[in-house]
Amino acid sequence: MFDGLGLLFGGITHFLNPVSLFNIAWATLLGIIIGALPGLTATMGVALLVTLTYKMSPDQAILCLMCLYSGAIYGGSRTAILLAIPGTPASAATTLDGHPLALQGKAGLAMGLATTSSALGTVVGIFFLALIAPLLAEAALRFGTYEFFWLALFGVVISGQLTAMDDPLKGYIAGILGLLIAMIGMETLHAHQRFTFGIAALGGGVDLIPAMVGAFGFAEILGVMKRRAQARVVTAGDRVVPRFGEVLKYWKTTLRSGVIGTFVGIVPGVGEDVGAWASYAAAKRASKERKLFGRGSQEGLIAAETGNSAVVPGAMIPTLTLALPGSAAAAVLIAAMFIHGIRPGPLLMTENPQFLYQIVAILLFSTLAILVFGLSLTRPLLTVLMVPRERLMPIVYVLCVVGSFAITQRMFDVYVMVAFGLIGFLLREMKYPMAPLVLGIILGDLLDLNLRRGLLLTNGDPSPFFTRPISAVICLTIVFTILMSIPAVSSRVRALFVRNTGRAGSV
Amino acid sequence: MDDREAGPAGPDMVGQDAEDGARMVRADLLAGLFFVVLGVAILYASWTMPRLEARRIHPMTIPGLVPGLLSVALVICGGVLAFRSSRAHAPGGWRALGSIFTSEAALRAGAVAGLALIYTLGLVGLVPFWAATAIFVAAFILVFEVWLAEPRRPLLESLPWAVGLAIVTAIVVTLVFERAFLVRLP
Repeated sequence: MFDGLGLLFGGITHFLNPVSLFNIAWATLLGIIIGALPGLTATMGVALLVTLTYKMSPDQAILCLMCLYSGAIYGGSRTAILLAIPGTPASAATTLDGHPLALQGKAGLAMGLATTSSALGTVVGIFFLALIAPLLAEAALRFGTYEFFWLALFGVVISGQLTAMDDPLKGYIAGILGLLIAMIGMETLHAHQRFTFGIAALGGGVDLIPAMVGAFGFAEILGVMKRRAQARVVTAGDRVVPRFGEVLKYWKTTLRSGVIGTFVGIVPGVGEDVGAWASYAAAKRASKERKLFGRGSQEGLIAAETGNSAVVPGAMIPTLTLALPGSAAAAVLIAAMFIHGIRPGPLLMTENPQFLYQIVAILLFSTLAILVFGLSLTRPLLTVLMVPRERLMPIVYVLCVVGSFAITQRMFDVYVMVAFGLIGFLLREMKYPMAPLVLGIILGDLLDLNLRRGLLLTNGDPSPFFTRPISAVICLTIVFTILMSIPAVSSRVRALFVRNTGRAGSV
Repeated sequence: MDDREAGPAGPDMVGQDAEDGARMVRADLLAGLFFVVLGVAILYASWTMPRLEARRIHPMTIPGLVPGLLSVALVICGGVLAFRSSRAHAPGGWRALGSIFTSEAALRAGAVAGLALIYTLGLVGLVPFWAATAIFVAAFILVFEVWLAEPRRPLLESLPWAVGLAIVTAIVVTLVFERAFLVRLP
C-alpha cells in the first residue's frame, strides 16, 4: 500500500519539470483540438503522433501520447455541444443532451459541465487504475500459454460483440479479418513465412501503425468528405465555468458513470463510445428526470462525458498488465510502447513498477490541463471548429502519408496505409466496426503462438485448454458470449428468465 | 434485440430507412459471399502450406493450423451473413445498391480516393516530396471548393487559399520532418 503511494509520489515528481510540463500542455491542447475537429479521432491522433515522438525519450513520448489521447476524448464534446456532430465517436452520446442545451442558450454551461465531468470521470478511472492494475498484474503472473490463448480470443470476441453497431456477426467478421491479417509474415514458432506471396516487405508482417493510420485516418477523411453539408456552429453567450452546486448536484450519476466507464475500459477493445452509451443508458434508467433526457438534460450530459473519459484510465488496466488493448487508441499505445522498449504485460510490475504510476501521474496532469484549457479557451476552440474541412483534410492526408512512412522509411508502409484506408472505408460503410479488426491485428500473434505452443507443450493434447480453471472460465465466457449474440438463443434465454421471475413474483 | 430479429427490412420501416435497410441487406449478401470465397481460398492456402516434416515439428503445431481455423470461422460467419441476407425481404434492394455508385456521396468519396491515389502512387517518387504535397493540397482544395461544393465558390476566391495553404503545408511538413525529426521523406 505504502509502496504504491511512494511510487505514485515518485511518478508525479518525475514529471514536475519544465520540459514535461511543456509537453503536457501542448499535447493535451493538440488532443483537444484533434478531438474537436470532426473527422479527426483520438486513435488517429495518437497513431500520427507516434511518428513525431519516436525520437523522444520513452517517458516523454508516452507522456505526449497519453495526454493527446485523453485530450482528444474530451475535445470531442465541444463539437458535440456546438455542432451536434460528435468530434470523435466517443462523444456521440454527448450530442443527445449537449446540443439541445446549446440551443436553449446554455452552451457555456454545457461546455463547463462537460469539462468538469470529463475531469471527474478520469479521476474515478485513475483511482481504479492505481487500485486494480497491480492486483491484476499479480494475478496475471499465474496465466500461462493456455490462458493467454483464450484471453486473446476473448478480446476479439467481446470487442466484436460490443462494438458492432447493430449486428455482432459483423463485429466477429471484422475480428476474424484482423486475426487473419496478423497471420501475414513470419510466424514466431517455426520461423516460417506465411501469405507473403514472394513480397519481401511482407516478411515482417503488416505493421500496426500504418494500418491504424489508414483505418482511422484515411478512411475517416473519405467518410467526412463524402458528406456534402457542414453543420452550423452554435455560439456560447453564458458563463463557461460551472458553479460547484451544478457540478455536485448529480454526484451519484458522476460516480456511477465513472465506475461504468472504467469497467467498459477494462473490457478489451471496447472503447470510449461504448463507455459513454452505457453510462448514459444507466443514468437514464436511474434518473428521476428521465423525461428530460434527449432534450437538454444536464444529468445526461454529465453521464456521457464522465463515462467516456473514465474509459481512458480503465483501458490502461488491461493494456499495461496483460498487453491486451482496452480500446483502439490503447492498441496504438501498445505499439508505441514496444517502439520505445517498454514491454507491457504481467511482468511490467516486476520489471518496471514505476511505469504504471507514471501513467497514473500523466493522467492526473492531463486532467488538470483539460480543466484549465477547457474552461479558459472557449473562443480559440470555437475558431478551430470553423476551419473548413476542405482545407483541413488534404493536410491531414499528407500527415497520414508522412506518418506511415516515417517509422521504417519504406514506401511499402504508405501503400499499406492506403489499402487499409480504402478497405476500412468500405467496411465502415457496410457497418463493420474497426476496433475488433485492430484488436485482431495486435492479438493475432499472441493467439497463434500460444495455441501452438500450448499444443507443443502437451504433445498435441488440447485438454489443458479446457481443464485448467482460469482457461475453462474464459472459454465458457467466450462460448456464452457467442451464443447470446445469436438472436434465437438469446430470446429463449431471456424468455426463460422472464418466466422464472414472473412465477417467483406470483408466489 | 427485437429490432435485430425483425431484420433490417422490418415491416414498419418506411421511406429512406427502408431503402437503406434493403440496400444493406443486398450489400450484406454480396459481402457474405465474398467472405465465403475469401475463407475458402485461405483454407486452401493453409491446407497446402508446408508442414515442415523435414524439421520434424509436431503435426499439431504446423504453420497453417491457426490460419486454417480462422478461415473456417470466416466461412461460417460469411455463410451465415449471406444466408440471413438472402432470406430477408428487401424490395428494391439491388436497385438501391446500384444507385449508391452513381450518388453524389460516391462521387465525392471517389474524388478523394482518386486524388489520394494520384498523389501517393503517382506524384510521390516522380517529383520531389514538397512539390507533390503542394500540388495535392492545392488540387484537393480547388476540387472540393470550386467543383464539388454546394454552392460553388468562385475560382478566384479559392485559388489564393489553395495555393497559400499548399505552399505553407509543403514547406512546414518538409522542414519539420527533415530538419526536426531527421526523417528522409519519400
